[in-house]
Amino acid sequence: MLRTLLMALTVAMVVAAGALFARRVAAIVGVMRTARPTLRTDRVGERIQSVVEHVLLHRRMFRITLSGVLHYFIFSGFVVLLIDIVETVGEVFVPGFTVGRILAPLVDIWVILVAIGILLALYNRLIIRPARFQGSDEKDAFLILGLIGAIIVGIVIHDSFFPFVAREVLHVPDPVAHAHFLGWGLSRLWVALGWTGPGAASVGYAFGYLLDMGVVLAFLAYLPYSKHLHIFAAVPNIFIRNLGPKGALLAKPVEESMAIRTFQDLSWKDISDLYTCTECGRCQAVCPAHAAGQPLSPKMVILELRDALNERIARGTAFSAEEPPLAGGVISKEELWACTTCGACQEACPVFIEHVPKIAGMRAALLEEGDIDPNAQKVLVAWDRQGNSFGQPARKRPVWAKNIDVPIKDARKEPVDWLWFVGDFAALDPRVQRLTQLIARLLHHAGVDFGILYESEANAGNEALRIGEYGLFEALALKNIEALNKAQYRRIFTTDPHSLNALKNEYRKFGFEAEVLHYTEAFLELIDQGQLSVSSVPVRATYHDPCYLGRWNGIVEAPRQLMQRLGVDLVEMPRHGAQSFCCGAGGGRIWMDETGITDRPANQRIREAMRLSNVHFFVVACPKDVSMFNASVTAMGVEEEMRVVDMAELLAVAVGLESAEETLLVSS
Amino acid sequence: MKIAVLMKDVPDLVEELEVEDGALPLDDMSFVPSEWDDQALEEALLMKEEADVEVTAVAIDTGDVDNMLFTALAKGADRAVKLVGDFSRTLPNRLRARLFAQYCQAQAIDVVLTGVQAIDDLDGQIAGLVAGLTGRAHASVVRDVHIEGSQVTCVQEYSGGKMAEMQLAVPAVLGIQAARKPPRYVTIAKVRQIQKSATLEEVEAEAGTAPLVTVRRIYKPEAAGHAEMWGDDVDAVAESIVRLLEDKKLLRS
Amino acid sequence: MGQVLIVAECQDGRLSDATQELIGRGRELAQATGGTVTLAAFGEGARDALRDADADVAVVVNGDGVQQYNPEVYEEALAAMVEDRQPALVLLSNTTMGMDLGASLAARQARPMVAYCTALWRDDDALLATSQIYGGKLAADVEVPDGAVVTVIPGSWPAAGSSGSPRIEEMPSPAAAHTRVLKVMEAESGGDVDITRADILVSVGRGLQDPDNLELADQLAEALGGVVSCSRPVVDAGWLPRSRQVGKSGKTVKPKLYFALGISGAPEHLQGMKDAELIVAVNSDENAPIFEVAHYGATVDILDLMPALTERLEGRAG
Repeated sequence: MLRTLLMALTVAMVVAAGALFARRVAAIVGVMRTARPTLRTDRVGERIQSVVEHVLLHRRMFRITLSGVLHYFIFSGFVVLLIDIVETVGEVFVPGFTVGRILAPLVDIWVILVAIGILLALYNRLIIRPARFQGSDEKDAFLILGLIGAIIVGIVIHDSFFPFVAREVLHVPDPVAHAHFLGWGLSRLWVALGWTGPGAASVGYAFGYLLDMGVVLAFLAYLPYSKHLHIFAAVPNIFIRNLGPKGALLAKPVEESMAIRTFQDLSWKDISDLYTCTECGRCQAVCPAHAAGQPLSPKMVILELRDALNERIARGTAFSAEEPPLAGGVISKEELWACTTCGACQEACPVFIEHVPKIAGMRAALLEEGDIDPNAQKVLVAWDRQGNSFGQPARKRPVWAKNIDVPIKDARKEPVDWLWFVGDFAALDPRVQRLTQLIARLLHHAGVDFGILYESEANAGNEALRIGEYGLFEALALKNIEALNKAQYRRIFTTDPHSLNALKNEYRKFGFEAEVLHYTEAFLELIDQGQLSVSSVPVRATYHDPCYLGRWNGIVEAPRQLMQRLGVDLVEMPRHGAQSFCCGAGGGRIWMDETGITDRPANQRIREAMRLSNVHFFVVACPKDVSMFNASVTAMGVEEEMRVVDMAELLAVAVGLESAEETLLVSS
Repeated sequence: MKIAVLMKDVPDLVEELEVEDGALPLDDMSFVPSEWDDQALEEALLMKEEADVEVTAVAIDTGDVDNMLFTALAKGADRAVKLVGDFSRTLPNRLRARLFAQYCQAQAIDVVLTGVQAIDDLDGQIAGLVAGLTGRAHASVVRDVHIEGSQVTCVQEYSGGKMAEMQLAVPAVLGIQAARKPPRYVTIAKVRQIQKSATLEEVEAEAGTAPLVTVRRIYKPEAAGHAEMWGDDVDAVAESIVRLLEDKKLLRS
Repeated sequence: MGQVLIVAECQDGRLSDATQELIGRGRELAQATGGTVTLAAFGEGARDALRDADADVAVVVNGDGVQQYNPEVYEEALAAMVEDRQPALVLLSNTTMGMDLGASLAARQARPMVAYCTALWRDDDALLATSQIYGGKLAADVEVPDGAVVTVIPGSWPAAGSSGSPRIEEMPSPAAAHTRVLKVMEAESGGDVDITRADILVSVGRGLQDPDNLELADQLAEALGGVVSCSRPVVDAGWLPRSRQVGKSGKTVKPKLYFALGISGAPEHLQGMKDAELIVAVNSDENAPIFEVAHYGATVDILDLMPALTERLEGRAG
């Protein structure tokens, strides 16, 4: 009677929950099928390895200790929940079934850990209340925690009644009665209350069983409608993550348009991203635009897209062109243009959601409607006409090379060992030109055979692509590749990390595969090979990792080693390496209106450095950083306390090209 | 209602202008759409958003104007017309105006928009010339153009910040000072796509004759009244300024 | 030379400076060849304004539709005058009216035209004009054929010194069939400061690069006791209200000190400020036309100079 009832209920619940689950998943998969293709099932070995690293080992999750630990408890509880489900269903469907004395107590141990996890989660959400949860569906989070709590209570209850049910109703042995130590402990209460007879035990067991299995199945039915689909989606989403090269916004040349207007313009991985988001807000917490007071949160971009898609699925309009566009409709243009494409969101995301390509694609849609910041528009026109963001004639590009006593070879006319791709800012910004000349003198000093492309060099196109102007990016890339192909060189180095990223990662899709280094890497090599001898520059300094060097290209060691060779006492800021904080210039932001910014990211960064003890030098390795951070220290009036120094200046002092006094490297 | 936007390309002033033998080597220079014509096009496209009008971009084939016309199509112009014939880069405005005037009359264009000026219109601005040749109502240095029935309204700007709202009966010619919004951006991909899918209408035209002027020489103006220069050192310049202001008693004590 | 016909513009009850300039040069050219100077003026108010102008004849067009500039009415009247008098030279200022009427009059009467004239002189037998083209970067010397219409950039040469007493002729105003002036407006000042009254103007242009840098200009203006004004691109970008704009379509200013910061000096801008008593221009391009009218200049980045100068001025005050 008890068995029959529970079996019937179980089958009914499985069918109902399975149907609800399948219907939902089918709808989502239906959308994924119409989305753009992307290759994410190659390199299986690496993918499995990354799943192990990021699912089993929770590598990114542990970056926030409390959240990492509590999630690990609950996450592992789900694995152990499987044992319980097998055991519980087995007990009812196959009289005498048992998981044995080894697995059984694991269930109880994990019940305790899950309970701790739930308490920590409540502590986190109710007491600590991190800002990253702002905008997340907190009710859903509590509901889910409640359901998980119900399940573990159910487990303990049915385990506590099972010895009596086994003996009195099913007439089977229960060899694991003691092994379920929590249940056994509770069963002592029933003994004391006298609830051990067939009737009371049956009722108690059925209650526990339904609380456990019922909620598990209710959970299954509810999951795909909540953020907790990540329980199922996270593993495949991590499996299909972008394995790189990380810095390439687009893996392949674009045929038609990179614009994202509808859900069909997203890739199937993008759709998967939407349903994998756990609303944890780690992306929001590291977003420079969000920190600056801009209306952008990478989390909200994902959630707004997901909610819109859900509504459209419910209305049956997921494929309709009548719905408002994603760019400028579902996601506001203010959100989209606020992004610096720094990639901190993607770096922080525990489930490998890719925010930047979606934002760039939606920007492309805005751009195709002619919607772009007027200043940025001028820059696009200047890139198109003159090949640089400054709107200077192309022949002015090498003007910095005119007034120095160092011969600079024309790599178009003679072979060189190193080809130097200078970049717009380094070549044309009056404040950076001096540093560019310094690099030339350093190379000359080291006896390096180097040259530049003179006026044949154009902007690399990294920012044009991130603004969403693919055609312009392509034109610039092809122009540079043509010039590079005509030149004879062994290796390339760039001053600007943005150029580096384009040459190294984005030009691959056009078949350009030369080795590209950053100048910090090049100089480290020169020192290590003994070509450049350096004396010590004993200053205490911090180093700012440029997004397009550290995060997108993983070049975090070379600049640090270089500083070490120079005897610099490096003091790290809390956010460094791949977790560096953007200066606010990337993705074309440097040319856009700053209305709405309440606290510039660069100022926040300078304050971060100023909190370090006794550090007065802020070392940068990107021409845009020179410009951004100098503006910040001037605006903040802290030029004396925090001096922005380019790596080239440190090098110049170290090799004796400039004196420490001259370069103002002496702390007062 | 039919709107024509008369466009031309001009040397890009970003590039240094080199004069050879008293003339400009136009063939070696890079050309860009005249910025005021771009404003006129934008204004026409904005008018299209609020009234039932057909916008045609018109240019004279004096070299490479195709890209400019395709760009106009990509931005939203309905048609693009190239007036073809034996025309060189040095075609004077007086002859350009005749070609445009013939076209506008033949096509019964209702409202003609063009840039109020261009950097190279030494023998008269297109708007006034076309108006004079066609006898149409006209106004230059205008903005905020709207169609109201068979009239157009616009705001004409005068010096000193004065302005007047006026109403002209069509057909009319307007020299646009600035569009209501900055000219829109059009992506390179969109222009390329239009180049594949659309064609420029070619209309044979003959300039005929007009009273022209003879240019004796073109040169860079001598720096006769040139400023006394203080160089390029920020601190030295700041110092010089302070001293000058002290001398002139312009500093607050 | 026969008759020189000058289209006069009035301002506040007197002939504009630009018109006085035309009269001065028109008289010189006419005198050299025994020609006459005729003024064409519009409206009742013009009668007083041109009473002592150095012209032989002044035609005052009067009637409906001349109190306020109406291109159609003015053009019809001028066309009739040109038709009737067959002048050897027609001079207009390169103002809105000149840009409006010069070209259409020339085209209508099939007369040659020279625009953007900055110099007009007789060389042997030919009349020559210098035309300012390519945004002031180049000049062209042009032969001015007989009967030509020439539009002159205001301020190109000094105004007429002498006075006369022209014979005043009346002309009824033609009717306007196609063009109506609906209303006349002043630029919105929005309660903003009046830049025409300031003694010191810190004027910024494209070189400002970013609206946030306005703060630097504000600080400098404050240190100087001046007011921030700007060139057209700054207004078009929406960084400052139109009431702050100096130039042809903005305000004409004559401060004691005009700081042109990051302003290249398009002819339209120069028109509005070249009469300032002292002009200091700072622009990174040494070939910028602004240096042609400035008294002192420097080729530094204004974003560096503004804070440096502010600091120096404040240091001096403290």
